[in-house]
Amino acid sequence: MPRSFLFAMMALMLGLASEVQAHATLDHAEPRVGNTMATAPHEVTLWFTQKLESAFSSITVTNAAGERVDSGKTRVSGSQMSVTLRAGGPGTYRVNWRVLSVDTHTTEGNFTFQVGQ
Amino acid sequence: MNWAWADSDVPLIVIRAMHFAATAVTAGALLFRAVVAEPAARHAGWTRAMPASSARQVASIGLAMTVPSGMIWVLLLTMRMSGLSLEDAFSADGLGTVIGDTQFGQASAVRLLCSLILAGCLVFDRIAWLRWGGLAAALGLVAGLAWTGHAGSTPDPLGEIHLAADILHLGAASAWVGGLLLLARMLIAARRQPTPEWRAYELDGIRRFSVLGMVSVATLIVSGLVNAWLLVGSWRGLVVTDYGLLLSVKLVLFGVMLAFAAINRLLLTPQLASVAQGQPQPTAFRRLTRNTVIELALGLVVFAVVGALGIQHPAIHLAQ
Repeated sequence: MPRSFLFAMMALMLGLASEVQAHATLDHAEPRVGNTMATAPHEVTLWFTQKLESAFSSITVTNAAGERVDSGKTRVSGSQMSVTLRAGGPGTYRVNWRVLSVDTHTTEGNFTFQVGQ
Repeated sequence: MNWAWADSDVPLIVIRAMHFAATAVTAGALLFRAVVAEPAARHAGWTRAMPASSARQVASIGLAMTVPSGMIWVLLLTMRMSGLSLEDAFSADGLGTVIGDTQFGQASAVRLLCSLILAGCLVFDRIAWLRWGGLAAALGLVAGLAWTGHAGSTPDPLGEIHLAADILHLGAASAWVGGLLLLARMLIAARRQPTPEWRAYELDGIRRFSVLGMVSVATLIVSGLVNAWLLVGSWRGLVVTDYGLLLSVKLVLFGVMLAFAAINRLLLTPQLASVAQGQPQPTAFRRLTRNTVIELALGLVVFAVVGALGIQHPAIHLAQ
């Protein structure tokens, strides 16, 4: 195979690589992103646009004081991921998520919701 | 040691492109033997197809590239998924978790098993039923790729449709590109054997590959439309996202390959028919050989694009 063709292939691959970017894939959540609730929820559930790998997907939730209020045991089923919460009082809760989709894309993100305000 | 290179996309794209191309060539060579070379040889009254050993040789080389590139792919993704260094990636937390607990790892393990079966079948290639077993293992090796990419992550109820479309897409691409390599070797070999028997065999092989090519192209178009519907979803997705732009590059390359295939089928193959009637047309043979090699080179560039497409986020989730 001509050497120039191999160089062209390598140049194309390097060019393509510079374009690659991953993006968040959260479809929706319960509690809803940015919503205000009267009482703290018992769990947080997130729905994604693709199926997830449980071994590399997790949710952590912190309360207004920055303390973790999740159980630490994230449950994954298909494209859905949940974690149980302990009581954490009123204020702003932050949900941090990190997921690996079945097609091996790792994405992460966070959002907040309000309790009792 | 600095493992920053493992976070770069370049090694992953290069290894994916190599793996996809090697897998396609492996399966395509054996498919070419089964549906083109051997039937053409039987039609010519030969006991064994000329490229029979050639197909085995190409498939063996393809498999020898498929297995290590597949292992490196698993290792790179293990490092990326777990954040572990190369040494730590070999641990139970690294490879053990990826192979045991992820769809990508499980599909890779099944594909490795297909590779081992195929290797055994290639060793005992003279046994007829093992040749069919080898072809089945090679097709399994190709089909398994569907579970490692975007098609494997589409949620139900469209997940099964996406997987089926991707399996057909991968199979058709393998038949076309892998077959082109064998066709090129067949044409080059025939130029060294300018006897009427070889010309007749070659012409029959070209006609049979032409049918295989048309079936492959039709399958690629239909399955590609299904994949585009599920992964791109709109014209906007095709033009405003990186995924869509890469797919556009792939479509342009596909269009050029199709143009060469049309010239071969509609212009050069009818000219070659006169060869069987004793009117030598070496120019048409030369052009067909040249076009086949160009088509093959374009097919390999398509695999480079596929290497990058697979690690992109699907356009449908970004262009809304």
